Amino acid sequence: MKKLFYLLTLGTALSFVSVNANAQCNADTYTNTCIPKLSSGFNFLKSYKIDGAGGGKSKVEYSYVFTKGTQYMINICAEGETTDGIVVTLYDSKRQKVGTSVYNGQYLSGMNYPCNTTGIYYITYTFENSANYCGGSALGFKR
Amino acid sequence: MVNKKYMKKLLIGIIVLSIAACGPSKDEQAQDDFENQLAADSTQSKGPEISPEVISAIIESIPSPLEISVLLKESGTKYDISILNASNNTSKYNSNYSKALNLGIYGTDLGYTNIYAQNQDGLDYMSSIKSMADGLNIGQFFDIETIGKLATNSNNLDSLLLVTTQNFNAINTYLQEQDRSHLSVLLLAGGWLEAMHITCQVSSKNPSNKELQEKIGEQKIILENIVLLLSFYSESFPDIAAFMIDILELQASFDTIEITTIYKESTMEIVDGIMVIHDNSESNVNITDANVEEIKNVTAKIRSKIIS
Repeated sequence: MKKLFYLLTLGTALSFVSVNANAQCNADTYTNTCIPKLSSGFNFLKSYKIDGAGGGKSKVEYSYVFTKGTQYMINICAEGETTDGIVVTLYDSKRQKVGTSVYNGQYLSGMNYPCNTTGIYYITYTFENSANYCGGSALGFKR
Repeated sequence: MVNKKYMKKLLIGIIVLSIAACGPSKDEQAQDDFENQLAADSTQSKGPEISPEVISAIIESIPSPLEISVLLKESGTKYDISILNASNNTSKYNSNYSKALNLGIYGTDLGYTNIYAQNQDGLDYMSSIKSMADGLNIGQFFDIETIGKLATNSNNLDSLLLVTTQNFNAINTYLQEQDRSHLSVLLLAGGWLEAMHITCQVSSKNPSNKELQEKIGEQKIILENIVLLLSFYSESFPDIAAFMIDILELQASFDTIEITTIYKESTMEIVDGIMVIHDNSESNVNITDANVEEIKNVTAKIRSKIIS
């Protein structure tokens, strides 16, 4: 049943994600920008493309198994120095919100998560007043 | 009681329909010179019943073996090349199945040598990786010259780790784009198994290190996803079906391990422009010395079949 729940959750999450690539969003550029911006001491793990299909997609989501005792960092890069309204929100395996990169209207460039609970996490990117709906992100870890 | 097989097929149907409803599938990339290779990879024309997007999402969720190597080094464990697969074993691996699994194994071994800054050993493993990757027609992702330069100076450790991680990420993406996801799954499974092997070997020599034991127990979560991935291909690929039987035996050795979570809402604060989350929840792993011993033995048995 756990498998069924996992697959259903994953399937539902993916249903929000259009599989059409938006030709105007070169997310690779932003992921490449983001990797060196991981804070000192963090080892690079994954890069994530954030392609909102020009506003056609409400969210872009990935998942990753985080483990207790490890500190993770997720950053966001977009056009210029800002995050262009891209928000990253972390949910735990039960879809409970763990944290987000927006605070009192301030769009932060990333989040740092010292994990104390091993499990699958959902890394969700949403757009708030975004101009380009396009960005990149990098995930890093350190002990 | 609902039949499990029926439930699985029903579920796959629901997921496929829900994804198909979002729009047309990803544009197919132009076929290149690897068509013959693709044909060789497919023993049957029928692919998995689940969408590539779902498979890709599960693959991407599996953590990097590098995390284990960092844990081992930071816990004071000494470097021990004898627990790795010998870098000169490459000539033993002739089928794509064997190459893909051992590419994953060598990838974990390379990460281990890199973390311990054992550059010469790292170069040997890089050469093994290049050999496996060439055999799978994915050798273009490894620029030996660049990696060799990085490996000659320990100050380049961060760059070396970055380049090798990027290479493996690129390979996984490429294999999925080329409809060779089963090789990506094998690569991942091999890498995970080697990390398990290294962790179990170190743990058995340091039974008082409870963090390592917990780390082994936590693999129950990841193993569940690996079994799921293998199940998508076990009907089409006899090698994968046989491998899955072994992996299911390993999964059974995790049956009595319990992972419990006490949930408390997290709190947040901004530090230097970054949101720092304070995880107030906690997970605990209930694992015994006997569990570790059994997992170690089953892992070693499976690994031995792969590397021999």
